[in-house]
Amino acid sequence: MALMITCPVCGPRNGYEFRYGGEDKGPRPAQRELSPGDWFQYVHANDCADGIQKEWWVHRDGCGVWFTTYRDTTVNREVPPPEEDA
Amino acid sequence: MNRLRALPTFRIDPARRVAFRYRNRSLHGVAGDTVATALYANGVRIFGRSLKYHRPRGLYSLDGECSNTCMQVDGIPNVRTENTPLREGMQIKEQNVVGSAAFDLMAFMDKLDRLMPAGFYYRSLHKPARLWPVAMRQVRRAAGLGKISPDFRYGGRCDEVYLNAEVCVVGGGAAGMSAALSAAESGLRVILLEARPWLGGCFDYRPGPSQDGEPLYRRSRELLRSVSEHPGIRVFTHSPVVGHYTDNLVTAFQTGEPGDAFDYRYIEIRSRTVVVATGCIERPLLFEHNERPGVMQVGCAQRLARTYGLLPGERAVFSVGHDLGLEAAVDLSDLGLEIACVADLRQDGHDEHLVTQLAERGIEVLRGWVAARAHGARAVRAVTLATLDGTVQKRLDCDLLAASAGLTPVVGPLTLAGAQMDYDAHTGAFLPSELPPGLFTAGRLLGLHDAESIETSGRLAGLQAAAHCGAVDAAAVVELQAQAAALPGPQRGSKLVTAPVKGRKSFVCFDEDTTVKNVRQSIARGFDIPELIKRFSSAGTGPGQGGIPGHNLPLLTAHLQGKPPSSFVSTTIRAPLVPVPVAAYAGSRHDMCKRTPVHDSQKAAGGVFRRMGVWRRARYFSDDFSCREEVRNVRENVGLLDASTLGKFRLHGPDALKALQRIYIGDMSKMTAGKIKYAAMCNDDGCVIDDGVVVKRGENDYYFTTSTARAGATIEWFRYHTRYDGWEFHLVNLTDAFGVINLAGPNARKVLEKVADADVSNEAFPFAAYREFTAGGGAIAVRAMRLGFVGELSFELHVPSSLMQALWGLLEEAGKPFGIRNFGVEAQNVLRMEKGHIILGQESEQRTNLLDLGLGFLWARDKGECKTVGEAALRHAENDPGRLKLVGIRMQDPQRAPKDGALIVDRRIRGYVCTARHSFTLEQAVGLALVEEPLAGIGTRLDIYEDECRGELLKAEVVAVPFYDPDGKRMRM
Repeated sequence: MALMITCPVCGPRNGYEFRYGGEDKGPRPAQRELSPGDWFQYVHANDCADGIQKEWWVHRDGCGVWFTTYRDTTVNREVPPPEEDA
Repeated sequence: MNRLRALPTFRIDPARRVAFRYRNRSLHGVAGDTVATALYANGVRIFGRSLKYHRPRGLYSLDGECSNTCMQVDGIPNVRTENTPLREGMQIKEQNVVGSAAFDLMAFMDKLDRLMPAGFYYRSLHKPARLWPVAMRQVRRAAGLGKISPDFRYGGRCDEVYLNAEVCVVGGGAAGMSAALSAAESGLRVILLEARPWLGGCFDYRPGPSQDGEPLYRRSRELLRSVSEHPGIRVFTHSPVVGHYTDNLVTAFQTGEPGDAFDYRYIEIRSRTVVVATGCIERPLLFEHNERPGVMQVGCAQRLARTYGLLPGERAVFSVGHDLGLEAAVDLSDLGLEIACVADLRQDGHDEHLVTQLAERGIEVLRGWVAARAHGARAVRAVTLATLDGTVQKRLDCDLLAASAGLTPVVGPLTLAGAQMDYDAHTGAFLPSELPPGLFTAGRLLGLHDAESIETSGRLAGLQAAAHCGAVDAAAVVELQAQAAALPGPQRGSKLVTAPVKGRKSFVCFDEDTTVKNVRQSIARGFDIPELIKRFSSAGTGPGQGGIPGHNLPLLTAHLQGKPPSSFVSTTIRAPLVPVPVAAYAGSRHDMCKRTPVHDSQKAAGGVFRRMGVWRRARYFSDDFSCREEVRNVRENVGLLDASTLGKFRLHGPDALKALQRIYIGDMSKMTAGKIKYAAMCNDDGCVIDDGVVVKRGENDYYFTTSTARAGATIEWFRYHTRYDGWEFHLVNLTDAFGVINLAGPNARKVLEKVADADVSNEAFPFAAYREFTAGGGAIAVRAMRLGFVGELSFELHVPSSLMQALWGLLEEAGKPFGIRNFGVEAQNVLRMEKGHIILGQESEQRTNLLDLGLGFLWARDKGECKTVGEAALRHAENDPGRLKLVGIRMQDPQRAPKDGALIVDRRIRGYVCTARHSFTLEQAVGLALVEEPLAGIGTRLDIYEDECRGELLKAEVVAVPFYDPDGKRMRM
């Protein structure tokens, strides 16, 4: 976690202040009719992208905000959002 | 040994003696000595024996680049004595010897090298298989470094410091100091790290002229003055860099000086930019017996004299490949060393001015000659010099051979930072061809030799770093770049790989005793690239972290295969770049924890405290750890428990209820004012992570408690599971703002009546109610809950932390006639277990879900689509067979409760005991256990295995819970 991460409230900060919150998989699905397989997919299955990935982080030792950011997993650095998402 | 008369370059104070002990002898060094130089001054030439062949080893680099001078200092093995300042009273011993370093009984190993080719233990000692354990024991006994006593306890003090800077300069030589100054002049915060105990680098000891004609050492002291006077530069000396990580995170460790509050200090710097100006070390010259004591690097010989006042020998031969070698020969000759001859492996390209100076002193310079063999059994007595092709040889007597093939840039921090390294044909070194953003280089590591070039390159790098931070504009950089380009550039480096020898005793790696011959053997076996050779022959895997073989190994690999040197790259460099005492990483041993507001009065009442999570809590109030009296007093009279560590939160805002419905598994919409709701949180797997009570204090305004362990993570948990919803609610962590007193026992109401300003009768304040009132005549606002965790009439009183002690005192006073006493966490544990109440984490583990614990009644299935965390998984797990169930157990032997965690077995493991105690109330041994479902029926007999049961399984039976007061009358009194 030596990387720097940009908190939307506090700006660029030491990565140690943050905790990783997983890939961005979209809002919670409606649970009533969900099959165990679909639920498993949402909770536990990950893409583990080899490259740029949108993910959740929390500024745990700072302001406490949850936010999404982009990280290049091959070099473990935060990167600007790709064009189509910008 | 007599020191030289005082020189202006001294870093010692010859007038101040420092006593130490070595091999049971009392010796003296002087202030400023390292352990190694103090031993050298006392005539010690053999410092230790090598790993494999037990060859004698001595002073070589003076910077701890190899394990030659590793010794045991004050009980600590493998101390790099060249880097360790001498301190009064130090106890120094040699290591890896049988007898002494000078007369080692294992020295015969050196003759057995033919039996130990590269990788011999991989290839020869494993067949038959039963041979290996025997062989391994013998190999380990014969080889290795220091030994540590299992009883050894490190008594030093360690510290840690975390810093931020715009520019971090690695290396405090002339280039590093110049870079720090030019960056700091633009107003940035600069940190300067230097591995040696002082700034100055290679200028520090050299009398050669700088660009103004004054000696280099004086120039370096001028720079030092400017650096130390600049308020923007923070200097750390004796602080080698250990690692460099993503986005310029630099770690180092510092050795304390006398007067510092630490012996070692871990340093971690988050810097926007890094300037690497680490300079060069010398590339070892490969020839026969190139590590015999008496053979040392040129810089080592010159610094012994210039810095420590020790003439390194009496009659010396130099075999060098760089102008620094010629410069050192001139200087040492002037200081009184007799120099027999200087062999320079270069045919041309010498600084002719230095050649002339040598000639003036009557010292012969042999161009295109090199040392081929050192003679002498335990120390150098003579040397054979040869032409590069080996056809002409001559032998000279000497006791010092200053040998160096050229220079090796120290690129460790660059490669760790991810710089692309390539072979540079001009300097013969592996240099960065591409740097990551925010990383800059300066100084001798680029191949620069000219003093003005070195300083200018430093200023340029400092300015580039400042421009990267936006503190100066690019035009200033371009201007300085043009100035630097006009100065002499990188010097051509020597390319010689090895002297013309077969290499049986030419050591590529001193730490692991790897010879040129071993490298050849590795290649013959197909291990033909440096990374493979390193693993097969162990070259570069020792404490020196590849300092000695790092540059030579790829060059030698290419040379032995007749390939160009650009064919290979150096082996991967990894952190730590230098060996770090583990204590430095451990840091200070200060235990940071929280105390409750009534810590002191509990201590005065005889509380025995234990660390629990982030808190120190009173676990017992007597020496009787079974808590018989504490338990009895709660059951019969009344007790006081400090429960301030509970997590306490306020949740308010328009969407507060939505958040509660998402997080709690129960239906939170039906709460009414004045009544508490017991509720549980699950995770997305349906496993219980927390339980507590929730009260509604007003419209969209809730107050709830969590378990002690979850207090720190609760807000993060709420926010995580509502992160897509954009709901408006606010969470305030009141854990430290409120203290909690649990007043429990049949007399609890009698005590509270005397203190509370409100009616607390069973009618006005029934079980499971929530009330707010004042106590102590209106002075103390109390939030009170009637709970029954310990199974008796009890009141949980939440009060502002600052008023905790006041209320505590009032209750103790009021309770005297009723036998009030403190009880601790362990008594509470017994009390609640008798009642069958669970503690999460004790009656549950990561896989235990709500239904397993029999808490299914907390789950509201009909509360609508709230996307409640855990609900989906619970529905899926509802009819899962083969899950563990929580049951009550009663032991056959009422005196013998198993330990928590004991296993329930038949022919395999069927569950485990969560909590079990002898209950004085019931005169039985009872407990709670998680068992497989088929064993959960009342009356089932269980066998329990415990560590000390010696095969005799304990007998138990599944019984109904609660054990105590099954109807729950007592808590509703």
